[in-house]
Amino acid sequence: MNENHKRKVDTRVVVETPEGVDFQFVIAGPGTRAWAWLIDNLLKLGILAGVGILLSAVGVFADSNENFVAGIMSIIGFVMNWFYGSLFESWMNGQTPGKKSAGLRVVRTNGTPIDVTSAIGRNFLRTADMLPFCYTVGLISMLMTRRMQRLGDLVFDTMVIDERRESISRTGGLTANIEPLLRSECPRRFSVPERTLAVIERLFESDRIISDARREEIARPLSEALRKRLGYQDPAPDPRNPHTYFRTQGFRHTQFILRVLKTFADDPNGSKGNSKNPQASANRTAMKKERSERDSSYEENRQLAGLPSGEPGSES
Amino acid sequence: MNRERFIRDRRNDWREFETLVSRMKNSRQSKWGSRDVATLSRLYRSICYDLSLVQSREWGARLEQYLNDLVAQGHNCLYRSPPQSVRAVWDFFAVGFPRLLRRRYKPFLLALALFLVPLIASVWVGYTRPDLAELIAGRETIEQALKSYENELYVEGDSRYSSERTRMFGHYINNNTSIAFQAFAMGVLVGIGTCYVLISNGIIIGILKGAILAKGNPTADNFFSFIISHGSFELTAIVIAGAGGLVLAQGILMPGQRTRGDSLKFHGVEALQLALGAGGMLFVAAMLEGYFSPLPIASSIKYVVGSMLWLLVAVYLTMSGRERITHEG
Repeated sequence: MNENHKRKVDTRVVVETPEGVDFQFVIAGPGTRAWAWLIDNLLKLGILAGVGILLSAVGVFADSNENFVAGIMSIIGFVMNWFYGSLFESWMNGQTPGKKSAGLRVVRTNGTPIDVTSAIGRNFLRTADMLPFCYTVGLISMLMTRRMQRLGDLVFDTMVIDERRESISRTGGLTANIEPLLRSECPRRFSVPERTLAVIERLFESDRIISDARREEIARPLSEALRKRLGYQDPAPDPRNPHTYFRTQGFRHTQFILRVLKTFADDPNGSKGNSKNPQASANRTAMKKERSERDSSYEENRQLAGLPSGEPGSES
Repeated sequence: MNRERFIRDRRNDWREFETLVSRMKNSRQSKWGSRDVATLSRLYRSICYDLSLVQSREWGARLEQYLNDLVAQGHNCLYRSPPQSVRAVWDFFAVGFPRLLRRRYKPFLLALALFLVPLIASVWVGYTRPDLAELIAGRETIEQALKSYENELYVEGDSRYSSERTRMFGHYINNNTSIAFQAFAMGVLVGIGTCYVLISNGIIIGILKGAILAKGNPTADNFFSFIISHGSFELTAIVIAGAGGLVLAQGILMPGQRTRGDSLKFHGVEALQLALGAGGMLFVAAMLEGYFSPLPIASSIKYVVGSMLWLLVAVYLTMSGRERITHEG
C-alpha cells in the first residue's frame, strides 16, 4: 500500500505569498473542468432561451417585430460567446457559475486573484484551445504542463485550482485500506498526542526514500511505546487462517502505527463509513459529504487551538 | 515559549481575525472602514508569522491546518484584483491603444500585407475572370451579392429600414467582431490561423468587389457608397486584430532573450490589447454599418462622409496619444 502512495501523481502546487508563507493549491484536472464547462454552457443556453422568450413576449405587446428581437439576440449571443467567462471570472473572483458548482477557481499562477485582462484573454484563446474538436489542443497543452494549463492559461499566466480539495485529508491515501483500532482492543487509554501523530506522518512522507524494512525498524520503538500506552495486544493467529497472521507479522509495527494514525488522525469521531471504497467519492453526494467533512475538520482544528466552537463572531 | 502558552497568548488575535474576516469578505472593498483595514492587515501579517512558527516547530498538524485556513481566508480577502474604472477604459482608447499600435507597427504592416495583397489580387481576378471568381467564391455568393446591391438599399420612407437596422447591427457586431477575435486567438497556433483568417477574408472581399466592379453602375455605386463609411473602421480593425494574432505568434516563434513561456506571457497582454482595441473599433463600425451606411441619402454625401471617416481613423491611429513636443530657443 505504500507503493501506491508513492506512485500517486501530485497535483499540488506550492505558492509563496508576499508574507513568505507557503500555500498549497490543488490543480483541477480536465474532468472537473469539463463538468464546469458543461454547466456553464447549459446556463448560456438557458439565458439565451430565456431572453429570447422574454423579448418576443414583450415584442408582441410593444408592437415591435422579430427583426428587433433578432438583433438583440445576436448581440447577446456575441457577449455570451466571447465575454461570458471573463465577466463572471472578474466579478466573482475567478469563478463562473459552472466553476463554482464544481468547486473550481481561476487564479494567477502566483496565487493572487485573476485580473480583468487575464480573464478576457484566457477566454478569448478558448477559440484556439477548442481546435480541431472537443478541446483537443487544450487537452494536449494541459497534459504537457505541470499546472495543467490550456493555451489560454499559459499565455495569460493563470491556472484553475480545485478548492474543494484545497485542504486534503491529512493522511491522504496513506490509511485507505487500514482498519481503525477498536475501543475494545485498547483496554488502557484511547488517545494519542498530536505530536506523536505528526511524527508518524513524517515517517510516511513521500519524500522520505526509505525501504519498508527500514521503516519497520524505525517504527518499532514508537509502536512499542504506543502499545504500552493503549494497552494493545496483537491478536493471536487465527487458527482457521494462520497464513494471514504470518504474512503481516513482518510489518506489524508499521501496520500498527498506521492503524493508530487512522484511528486518531483521520476521523476522530469513530470509524463510521471511512473504510469505504474511495472511488465512491466520484459522485456528487460524496462531493457534498467531503465538503461538509472539510468544514467539520475546520471546526475540530478550531477547538484544538483552544477556541470555542460555533459561528465566528457570534460571541463577540 | 511552549505550545500551550503560544496558543493562550495568540488566540484572542485569531478570534478577532475570524470575526473581522467573516464580516469583511462578503462586503465590497469600498465599504470597508479604515480602522478595520488597518486591523485586518496587522492581524493577517501576525497570523502569517504564527503559521510559519507552527510550521517550523511542528506543533501539530491540526493547529497548522487551522492557521493555514485563517491565512487562506485573509489572503483571499485582502488580495483582490484592482477595480477597473471607466476612466481606465477611456485612457486606453484615447492614449494606450494608438500608442501600442504605433509601437507594434511591424506586425501591423505584415497583417496589412497579408490582407491587402490577396484583396487586390482577387479584385483583379473578380473583375477580369468571372469564371475563376465563381470557382473561388461560389456562384451563389456572388449572385446574391450582385442582386442585393442592384437597387438602392432603401428608398425614402421605407418601413423596412427602421425595423431592419437593429437586426443588422446585431448581426454585424456578432459576425465581424467574432472574425476579428478569431484572427487574434488563432495567433497562438504560431500564427497559421491568423494568416488564414486574414487571407481568406481578403480574397472573399476582393472577389466580391471585383465582380461588382465588373457589373458596373448602379450596382457598383450602391455598393461602394455603402461600404466606404464603415469600411474605414471595419477593415482597419480586422487588420489590427490580425496584428494582435501575429504578436502572439511572434511571442512563440521569436522569444529573443526570454524563455518561450515568458515571451508568450509578455507578448500576450499586448496582443490582447490590440484585439480589444480592434473590438472597440468594430463596435463603431457596426453602428455606422447598421444605422448610417444604409441611409437613403445621395451617394455623394456618403462618399464625402466616408472619406472623412477614413481620415479620422488615420489621424486617430497615428496622432492620438502623442506628447506635444515643444521647441525652445
